[in-house]
Amino acid sequence: MATLLPFPSPPTAATTPAEPVLRVHGVRKAFEGREVLRGVDWQVPAGRVIGLLGRNGAGKTTLLRCLLGLAPIDAGAIELFGAPMTEPGGERLHRVGFVPQNFELFPWMKVRAYLDFTAAFYARWNHALAARLLQEWELDPKQKIGRLSQGQRQKLAIVRAIAPEPDLLVLDEPVASLDPQARRAFMAELLALMRGPGKTVIFSTHITADLERADADIALLRDGHIQFTRPLAELKARLSHAVLNRPAGWPTAPALPGVIKSRIAGASLHLLLEDVPAERLHQLAKDEDASLRIEMPTLEDLFVELA
Amino acid sequence: MRAIAQLWLLPSRQMPLLGVLAHLLWLTAIGCLVWITPHADGAALGAGVLAMGSWFWHLGLATTLRGACQPETFLLPAFRRRLAAFGLLDAVTWVGLPALLALALGVPHVPLGGALLLLAAVMGFAMGVERWVSLLFWPLLVLAGWMPGLAAAIVQDALHSPLTLPLLLLLALLLLRLALHPMLRVVDRPADTSPLEGLSLGRSASADTAPRRSALGRRFEGWFDAIAQQAMERALARYRERPSAARRRTLVRRLLLPHDNAAAIGLRITVMAVFATLYVVVALHRKHFNATVVGAYAVLIALARFPQIGRGMQRMRPNLADLYLTLAPATRAEYQQTLADALLVLVPIGTVTALAYTVLGIVLTHAAQPGLMLLVTLVVATGGGLVALAVHLIGPQNTVGRQLVNAAVLIGTMATYWAGVWLVGALGYVFGGGLLALLTLGFGLGTWLAAQREYRRRAPLFDAPLA
Repeated sequence: MATLLPFPSPPTAATTPAEPVLRVHGVRKAFEGREVLRGVDWQVPAGRVIGLLGRNGAGKTTLLRCLLGLAPIDAGAIELFGAPMTEPGGERLHRVGFVPQNFELFPWMKVRAYLDFTAAFYARWNHALAARLLQEWELDPKQKIGRLSQGQRQKLAIVRAIAPEPDLLVLDEPVASLDPQARRAFMAELLALMRGPGKTVIFSTHITADLERADADIALLRDGHIQFTRPLAELKARLSHAVLNRPAGWPTAPALPGVIKSRIAGASLHLLLEDVPAERLHQLAKDEDASLRIEMPTLEDLFVELA
Repeated sequence: MRAIAQLWLLPSRQMPLLGVLAHLLWLTAIGCLVWITPHADGAALGAGVLAMGSWFWHLGLATTLRGACQPETFLLPAFRRRLAAFGLLDAVTWVGLPALLALALGVPHVPLGGALLLLAAVMGFAMGVERWVSLLFWPLLVLAGWMPGLAAAIVQDALHSPLTLPLLLLLALLLLRLALHPMLRVVDRPADTSPLEGLSLGRSASADTAPRRSALGRRFEGWFDAIAQQAMERALARYRERPSAARRRTLVRRLLLPHDNAAAIGLRITVMAVFATLYVVVALHRKHFNATVVGAYAVLIALARFPQIGRGMQRMRPNLADLYLTLAPATRAEYQQTLADALLVLVPIGTVTALAYTVLGIVLTHAAQPGLMLLVTLVVATGGGLVALAVHLIGPQNTVGRQLVNAAVLIGTMATYWAGVWLVGALGYVFGGGLLALLTLGFGLGTWLAAQREYRRRAPLFDAPLA
């Protein structure tokens, strides 16, 4: 049976970490008795791209909406920019950009009018950026939003979210409806935006390649909890995937410290390992009279194994 | 057979009250036919009950099917064939079976009665699909009220004419064709309009069941859209020039209520005035016409806008998340207050609309007491508007509850209107009008302030409604 061992705490940094943009403590949320978030504890440091991963129905959208006060929580506390999220807090919301999963804009408005309307309320709005993105992403300003395709609406939602140059950008599956060109262009804009000091992005997606491109920290939401938040590079450096093969097969997986998950498929034994030296694996292969293959897991592999 | 059963269950699932009522009426009609003797009398009573039940049922059925007949639905295996089979079964239930039973019991004029029942069913269905179909029958009802003698003579002649039966069947067929053609045609969906908008016909429609607009309707929509865009641009320019709370409120109104600016209201009143003129001119020729009734109608028309607020605000929840982030309120209560303030403009708009129709009615009917009508309309439309806005803003979320609340508001407002007419007539403009204003506006304002307080207390909702 597969097991998931808890990750050890990341080593304490020598320098003092920046004040977290977001602090979540014991957040619970249920829908008609079905508990989706079961006491989420999470801290998001400033200046990072966080990839929020989780299977369908894990509660990613619910968590993101709770963070912004768009859905009430049943218990717990949320702090955004150092202040409790019990009230929206005025201008604080203007430091947040949000691209919802279902970009419910105002279908009866035209693109230009919608952006002008929104810009009128913001003290900071990058008109040049919005105009450039409209042109590059081929969004007709005279078109009604209701006449745009899903992908075009998503592009518009992204323009609206990043034009105020927010300090925190929350994106709920922002590239699901985008074509590959638009996805790459979006990622380029996102990375450019991130070059600003203290800019933070929380990015829920199933397209793990985008998170690898952004060198994101990975946060895994499972069973109503954030299981871990770790830099992708660290995950890749410390985790490995070993496949042991022997014709006699594997009645049980051998005990080995550092195994996060094991899976038997015919004559193969698949092990997801953390901080297990290659020499130890070679020794195991020798002891078990098996051939050994060690692979560097991709983020998608890790997601499949861990989520 | 399972697919047909599902189609039959559709309206009852969406409108359970209608399903129960319609089928109870069906049972009552059959009961009348079987147990009341002589059977001819029972059949006459039963046919009336059955026609009413059938009309309601098919109106609801059409509304449900119109929402269900989306291009994706036509991909279901043999959907059209099953729909046709269901139609046939439905016709047998509402027309065939009762007609056969009547025939077996020796009731006279069964073929004609059957054709009339079929027409009632098809009329209800056609009106459910295309709202404007009701306009075809409206002149007939007006004519019957205007010249009852002529209408009775036509009915008497028709009863004895051999052409009546084929003509009724032909009319039913034509109406059915008129209803089915747009329902089964695959067309591009129009862009959604604001769920709060009040473009007269089709005001209560949801996105899926919005009526298909005719060429003229589309032209009007284009005009309204152009006016809305200009109004938004003007409001934006004014806000940018000198931001203030009032201009910010106007901007939010231009977003939520795109067709409630001065020019659009003028255009809407003009369009409605054409219909109102037609009605008043015909109604004038009735034997007993009380000009004061014009004010009551005007108030009713003005109040018809408010039920859409409750429905629209519910449908608009997901869109409002964007507005919430844009407005960046300090507190949730402040955000709720912003919305309530934005919607309050509907009360003066309703009052102005009611007054405009009343003035039109006064001019057309040469009303004897124009001052009385205007005063009572002004007070009752304002008070009724405040109450209607209040209850639809915080009232029940489900359809039945909302309809009950709406009925209570309409009945209460009408009672107030006629009480106001009597009061001003009896006590004069100063005392009667003053008392009416004190009671009506006092009650309206009190209700509105209480509702506003409750609305502010509630947390904003941004989740899409389940249904």
